[in-house]
Amino acid sequence: MAQNEPRRTRPVLLRVAAVAVLSAIWQALVLAEFWPPVVLPGPAQVWDQLLAASDSGNGQGGYAGSTVAERLGVSLRRVGLGSAYGVLVGVVLGLVMGLAPLVRAVAEPFVTFLRALPPLAYLSLLVIWFGIDEEPKVYLLVVAAFPPVAVATAAAVTGVNRQYVEAARALGAGRAGVLASVVLPASAPEILTGVRLAVGVAYSSVVAAETVNGADGIGGMVLNAQRYNQTSVVLLGLVVIGLTGLLIDTAILALQRAVSPWRGRA
Amino acid sequence: MAEPLVELAGVEHRYRARKADVPALGPLDLRVGAGEFLVVVGPSGSGKSTLLRLVSGFERPTTGVVRVLGDAPVPGRDVGAVFQQPRLFPWQAVAGNIGTALRWAGVPRRDRPERIAALLDQVGLAALGKRRTWEISGGQQQRVAIARALAARPRLLLMDEPFAALDALTRERLQEDVRSLTGEERGVVFVTHSVDEAVFLATRVVVLSDRPGRVALDLPIPLPRSGVPADELRGSADFAALRGEVAAALRAVAA
Ligand SMILES: Nc1ncnc2c1ncn2[C@@H]1O[C@H](COP(=O)(O)OP(=O)(O)OP(=O)(O)O)[C@@H](O)[C@H]1O
Ligand SMILES: [Mg+2]
Repeated sequence: MAQNEPRRTRPVLLRVAAVAVLSAIWQALVLAEFWPPVVLPGPAQVWDQLLAASDSGNGQGGYAGSTVAERLGVSLRRVGLGSAYGVLVGVVLGLVMGLAPLVRAVAEPFVTFLRALPPLAYLSLLVIWFGIDEEPKVYLLVVAAFPPVAVATAAAVTGVNRQYVEAARALGAGRAGVLASVVLPASAPEILTGVRLAVGVAYSSVVAAETVNGADGIGGMVLNAQRYNQTSVVLLGLVVIGLTGLLIDTAILALQRAVSPWRGRA
Repeated sequence: MAEPLVELAGVEHRYRARKADVPALGPLDLRVGAGEFLVVVGPSGSGKSTLLRLVSGFERPTTGVVRVLGDAPVPGRDVGAVFQQPRLFPWQAVAGNIGTALRWAGVPRRDRPERIAALLDQVGLAALGKRRTWEISGGQQQRVAIARALAARPRLLLMDEPFAALDALTRERLQEDVRSLTGEERGVVFVTHSVDEAVFLATRVVVLSDRPGRVALDLPIPLPRSGVPADELRGSADFAALRGEVAAALRAVAA
């Protein structure tokens, strides 16, 4: 997990500039008309699509029954629930794995196995077991989200500097004290790196989760638009997913810095 | 005689290595009483850290018995420890490090702020409680580590080369503070490589032989504990004579 260090500073300006440059290249490609607009619509068309799909009074309630914001809300709720439970399961499992080598030996292959599966592969199973309502969608995200957290937490716990643990014991800390005041805070940055990965995985799996009776979400919108060759709607969906994903990641990164300002200093 | 703080009887320690066991210490008999400031010196690898780990309860002797206040030692009970590195918890501020130690020592929450202030004051860092641990110097960090180790009011304080990483001036200043840590109730066992430091701090110096360490010299240091300025003490003829004696013993075991 160590290679996933948060960078010291990533100036907002740089990010905005990068987006602007990419959009400009995109627009230039469209203007050059290498491909017909149906294949590659420009940023302007996607923007128009955003406005249209956000207008609940446009006769189709935005796009196919819901506005972009409503769809985003539905999908974010799924991602939020799936990640929250996934993180909970992952942290608990990771702690147990990190503290009990036997549990780790048993659980690790299982977790790694799950991690290797693309979410679409086990969606069918979840649908058979839990039907086509909300549950299997959230379960899918839980299953997708918990392995990276479990792996990161287990690695963090086993990697806690023994000198800190010994110092704590020399100060009279019991097992619970060592766990709460040394192991957890010492592992927090790495656990949060796992959470970052988990939320990313959950978010990128939401489109898969919404392939079955999930037309109300943002992923559902993309799938629907694909059926009717509405390229600009597909692009709109991708941009919305990508941008919100970026925002969420930035927020988690900020949380990580706030929780562990000592990272890299001690 | 009153019950000693520490008693080692026939203690030997071997570490399990891949092929053969490594004899690290002993056989060794040693008693440390309250009010004593025992400084242990010896060649590198002679088992000084091992001795402290045995007394703190992190390690059990291969043979013989170690007793602290009559019982087998348990980490964190009766014994405080200061290591070569301060080992402060970076996820807590300076005051928080001491507060956690007080919590582990069973001090009720409402009494902690006062005790934190008193401990910080004792090590001369009253103003630095809010600092992060990396925002203070190495010498200040080691002072915090000492304050933290004193939080539980341990009967015995173990210090393993606590000043080895500090510059000479900071080191001398800390020595002057640490010298007064013994009391009617408390004893200190301090490990160092510096003969000067040993003679200045100790009421008694033990020189360990080369590995496995045994007592090669057990020398009382009858220098005044108060009333004489540190510089004057360090410059005195008595000091020089004692230093010479310890240095000679150290040379003899290293040869
Ligand atoms: N965990 C261990 N496993 C195996 N051997 C060890 C271990 N710790 C120490 N030893 C060995 O035991 C001997 C004594 O080590 P110890 O650390 O007590 O020496 P020391 O006197 O503190 O040395 P120094 O002055 O360099 O700190 C050394 O030969 C060392 O290599
Ligand atoms: Mg040592």
